[in-house]
Amino acid sequence: MEHKSTGRQILVYGTLAVMLVFALFPLYWMLNTSFKSQGEIYNLTPTFWPKDFGWEAYDKLITEKGFLGNVRNSLLVSLAVSVFSISVSMFAAYAISKLNFKGRSFISRGILYAYLMPRAVLFIPLYMLVSAIGVNNSVYGLMLIYPTITIPYATWMLISYFKSIPVEIEEAAMIDGCSRGRTLRSIIFPLAAPGLAATFIFSFTLCWSEYLYALVVVTKSADKTITLGLSEMIVGDVFAWGPLMGGSIIASIPVIIMYLFTSKYMVSGMTVGGVK
Amino acid sequence: MRTASDNKLAYLLMSPVLVYLLAVMVLPFGWALYLSFTNKVVGMPAVFTGLKNYAELVQDSLFWKAAWNTLIFTAAAVFFKTVFGMIMGLVLNENIIFRNLFRVLLFLPWTIPTIVSVFTWQWIYSDVGGVLNFLLLKLHLTDRPLGWLATPDLAMFSVILVNVWRGIPFMGIAILAGLQTISKDIYEAAMLDGAGAVKRFIHMTLPSVREVTIMAAVMTTIWTLNDFEIIWLLTRGGPSNGTQVLSTLSYTIGFLNMSLGKAIAIAIMTMPPLILLINYVTKRSLTSGD
Repeated sequence: MEHKSTGRQILVYGTLAVMLVFALFPLYWMLNTSFKSQGEIYNLTPTFWPKDFGWEAYDKLITEKGFLGNVRNSLLVSLAVSVFSISVSMFAAYAISKLNFKGRSFISRGILYAYLMPRAVLFIPLYMLVSAIGVNNSVYGLMLIYPTITIPYATWMLISYFKSIPVEIEEAAMIDGCSRGRTLRSIIFPLAAPGLAATFIFSFTLCWSEYLYALVVVTKSADKTITLGLSEMIVGDVFAWGPLMGGSIIASIPVIIMYLFTSKYMVSGMTVGGVK
Repeated sequence: MRTASDNKLAYLLMSPVLVYLLAVMVLPFGWALYLSFTNKVVGMPAVFTGLKNYAELVQDSLFWKAAWNTLIFTAAAVFFKTVFGMIMGLVLNENIIFRNLFRVLLFLPWTIPTIVSVFTWQWIYSDVGGVLNFLLLKLHLTDRPLGWLATPDLAMFSVILVNVWRGIPFMGIAILAGLQTISKDIYEAAMLDGAGAVKRFIHMTLPSVREVTIMAAVMTTIWTLNDFEIIWLLTRGGPSNGTQVLSTLSYTIGFLNMSLGKAIAIAIMTMPPLILLINYVTKRSLTSGD
């Protein structure tokens, strides 16, 4: 390696420090606010550490705002949608990555198209669909339409995982007399397990963070998800900053933990195909 | 080698996904496309009106303002995300202590739900108790508190800043992945030949991460073009439509004015550039993936 000049070191660590402050300050501010009392939050001079560290905001969030109900709805929808999406996507992804069939390139292109199709274009058609079926206003409506986000995504991710499994392994198993189904069950899917787990986690976080579809589909308060629960804490111009920041912390913790476990899959997951 | 049994098996395996996508994505989209040619209002039957919605939009100055704002918002956000993402990638590619820890920390803004980042920034921007004005006043960078979301130009800056804050990690990590594929030997050879840091960056680093950077930037452009949450939650498209973009205009017309037909027409009109971008990504990733 090259000689490390001091100037270069200062430049690198200086830039790193600026980037860290920029990236982390809002997160620190969220945490800081959530442990302050109502009075301290509305103080004109902000304090950089809570004077009386307390749980007032979280208490209010749970007893007054019913945030646990939102958390339960989000958990339910995200789990159901992710389980369903992965269990159908893995078969489709296997077919697209390993089998030779007519229309293969058309279908893989279609999947990528569906993945990139923005929600801002689809939200009205999907709203009309759930209204027509009569599952608007409930978590079931979200369970019906969230796979439009997760299935194309999961299929696309899994195609690249399956492609990375050498075809020889499969051939060897089949020469040894394994049926296609048995090969899938006892060789391919176990080998792809880390990929399946990572895809599951990303699907979960996509549902967990979704706002636009939830906004147009669910209006019944008992069925609202965390993103709706948070946005409801703003009434007119009145912001309940304490509970809002506390709820933000609660909404962020599960996704942050999940990302930490899968951080090494992050890159390949995000820019599938692009960086190969 | 294609066999009949492969065809059957493949379609059998794909059938749940294909049926679902056809029923819940393709058909509703086709139906919506039809409704954009009608005067569909929530709760009323649709009457075919041909190109009326489109003609009205083209003549509506608000539509053009939203289109212009979308362009500004996207261009500025993508530019800054790419530049800072490049810097993040370069810094993380250096031999620094706790590199993995810093990589994870710098990635956090991208992981948390968008709505959470929006509220946190809204609180930072707030004119009552907001920490940004407090810090700027304290450092004497301004002599009076600024209304970050109160004037059209400043509000546009503020929504772009939130989008950039969220989006840098994606670009940074993608570019970092590209940088890590560059072999160290080439650099050493270039250094022995006396190439300076700037020269090495322009002639070696940039060309080798060009592909990844363009790909990640195009994907970011697709997402940024259709960003709804950040703008809707921070400004509702205001003040005086200063941050009104096509996605928020479509929502306003569809769900506040109840004119679904016209709202869909707006979404449809954003499709041509979108299709170009999506085509670019599909072409690139399908050729490199196969």
